[in-house]
Amino acid sequence: MKLTNIDLEKLIPENLISVTKMERRAFLKIGLVITGVFAGGRILSVTSNVSEAFASGKDFVDQYPYKPHYSMVIRQGLCIDCERCLKACKETNSVPDYGYRTRILTKIVTDAVGRKREFIPILCNHCNDAPCTRACPTRATYKNKENGIVMMESKKCIGCKMCILACPYEARYFNAERHAIDKCNFCWDTRLSKGEKLTACSYVCPTGARIFGDMSDPDNVAYKMVHQVEKQVWVLRPESGTKPNVFYMKATRSSPWDLRKQDGAR
Amino acid sequence: MKRMALLLLASLLAASFLFGSLVAFAEDEEEHGGDIIYTKPLKAVIFSHKAHTEDIGLECDWCHEETFEMEALHMQENTDFTMDSLCNENYCGTCHNGDISFSTTTQCARCHIGVKGYNDLVRQGKLEPAEGEEIPEEQKPGH
Ligand code: SF4
Ligand code: SF4
Repeated sequence: MKLTNIDLEKLIPENLISVTKMERRAFLKIGLVITGVFAGGRILSVTSNVSEAFASGKDFVDQYPYKPHYSMVIRQGLCIDCERCLKACKETNSVPDYGYRTRILTKIVTDAVGRKREFIPILCNHCNDAPCTRACPTRATYKNKENGIVMMESKKCIGCKMCILACPYEARYFNAERHAIDKCNFCWDTRLSKGEKLTACSYVCPTGARIFGDMSDPDNVAYKMVHQVEKQVWVLRPESGTKPNVFYMKATRSSPWDLRKQDGAR
Repeated sequence: MKRMALLLLASLLAASFLFGSLVAFAEDEEEHGGDIIYTKPLKAVIFSHKAHTEDIGLECDWCHEETFEMEALHMQENTDFTMDSLCNENYCGTCHNGDISFSTTTQCARCHIGVKGYNDLVRQGKLEPAEGEEIPEEQKPGH
């Protein structure tokens, strides 16, 4: 399998000039200013600019094209690699042992307070401009027009793996039993479409490292987290600019007993 | 005091002998209990006796037996061995309360080594896997 090597070990800031004007505008549209470029352009850091960019909250919300606009906020620093999320994902979505819909990366850190490691969950970014859907010759993978989830229609998949090559985030694997590519769909068929509010991974996460929510709703917890003024938020992305819907931010403090009750969903 | 310390040392020795496979890999186990790897309620948390005794100079009886029993991993069987309870200044939280030492609500990955950390230790031969447990092949860094 091709490994794109998003090397989180060596995050050295690079020249901001490599970000195209078009991409800057694309992020500004959703109220985020690009503040840093890392890892050969695969990672961008952004901060919220909502208060300056928009006259009203409503103008701003219009920039998220889906309703609901599902998104996940990864609070880096809280993940403890307990891998309950991986287990829940595998059980909920019948993911075989050789496959994955989400993984945890390890980053070795040495800083003054004596931390040694940081764990970083990764999954499909449900890109607004998804290269995988463009690469698919049979439209077996497509972006749902209502909720923006990038889905698979297994019957149509011929197993050519073009989407695996096109995806910059290694979010896809070939599922031999289904004879089709499989990937994260935010638990659409297994949970969300049945009325559950959270994906299996964010539901079981004991630390609140995975906040799942709806970016089209300014009162939603995920929305509020990403759009705190001046708070730095990251996205993983390739040079082409896929407009990912998984956001990353630093979290240094957890209150586990509160966070477990994300959004009153439990 | 000296007698007391000797006694403690003796029981530590006994403990490290008895629970040799659990107190996995300290180089000088005769001085302290080595590294303890907790796997419940989740995998995995490291406690370093060396860091707490040799490096910062705590005495055995500051924690044993009032906060932690001598028997390694004993408290894993308690239903209140959870973060909620730690945050209420029980177990590790007795000192890790943000006052005596860093709080258990911060710096999670300083003690939590995760499933990956646990697997690494088993692969390095520093820890016995649980019975029937399969350890997957190593992932490349960053993957
Ligand atoms: S459940 Fe949460 S803390 Fe545990 S590995 Fe997954 S994201 Fe990290
Ligand atoms: S992360 Fe990969 S699989 Fe997911 S939408 Fe983007 S390109 Fe497609």
